[in-house]
Amino acid sequence: MQAFATLPSQTADLLPLGNVRLRDTTQDGARALESFLAGVERKGFRIAQIALRHEADALDAVQDAMMQLAHRYASRPPQEWKPLFYRILENRIRDMQRRRIVRQRVMAWIPWHGEDDEAGDALEQAPDNAPQPAVQVESDEMMRALEQALSQLPGRQRQAFLLRNFEGLDVQETALAMKCSQGSVKTHYFRALQALRAKLGDFRP
Amino acid sequence: MNVEDMNEGMSEFERQVRQLLNDSVERMPAAVRSQLTQARYAALATRPFWQRSLVRHWAPAGAAAVLAVLLLVAPRGEHPAVSPIASAMPEDMELLADSDALQLGNDQDLDADFYEWAAGEAQGAAAPSLGT
Repeated sequence: MQAFATLPSQTADLLPLGNVRLRDTTQDGARALESFLAGVERKGFRIAQIALRHEADALDAVQDAMMQLAHRYASRPPQEWKPLFYRILENRIRDMQRRRIVRQRVMAWIPWHGEDDEAGDALEQAPDNAPQPAVQVESDEMMRALEQALSQLPGRQRQAFLLRNFEGLDVQETALAMKCSQGSVKTHYFRALQALRAKLGDFRP
Repeated sequence: MNVEDMNEGMSEFERQVRQLLNDSVERMPAAVRSQLTQARYAALATRPFWQRSLVRHWAPAGAAAVLAVLLLVAPRGEHPAVSPIASAMPEDMELLADSDALQLGNDQDLDADFYEWAAGEAQGAAAPSLGT
């Protein structure tokens, strides 16, 4: 958290100058937060979905992260929101993964446990048999392979790779989001890249 | 950091991965997008009240005004010393205003005669009279 203090603050520009200005500032803050959330929610969802391999859990994780950001950190300077959001999201993803492991261990001991709860809606998970263009099918297959490879990466490597490559955070922002040094970010990213290249050797999107 | 800057330092493999991931966001099902929008509004509604309203800005001014009023109205810590004369003033005023006090003033001469006689009697008692 201490590192956040080094980021330049824009809040001084929003200091009230009068009643009208005050109202504008409040509304601007709400609009800025909404705009920020709208900008990160989809990529945040995809990152959660790749890590959790479960759509409903990914939606929950993103919603929790957005709520926590809005509730606790909305008053922080907007340039801190993105690293904060992804840090919260990653924490939620890890919580869910831990909970899932515990649940699986417990369920393994219960002979009568139903697997229907985990299976989800069969209609939703049924393959789409509608005819699709060949390019689309190929792209979907590649995406599936990429998701598979990403989900098999160690958590820190996957996080570093997706934040840098997909979300477009720079090294400093990624380090803030991952709560580690910039050197660690570079190391995690490099290792992730090596692992992905090894797994997707003939990967040609 | 914009897309061009990001892509500049990337290898072909990284660019392709990035493109594929971005495409997957573009092709996100409408149902998921709708759920994300609902989640966003739910998150915005959880913002603390003081951040959502002007209370946030007016609270310090209001607190300062209340403090100023309290300082003006509340009794000071150091009380000024009250002289005995000043404290006795109300009682004296009551005595002067009382009608009985006026009567007392009118009977003053009688009382003087009485005290003069009483004093003489006392002296007489102290020295035994020779005539009796």
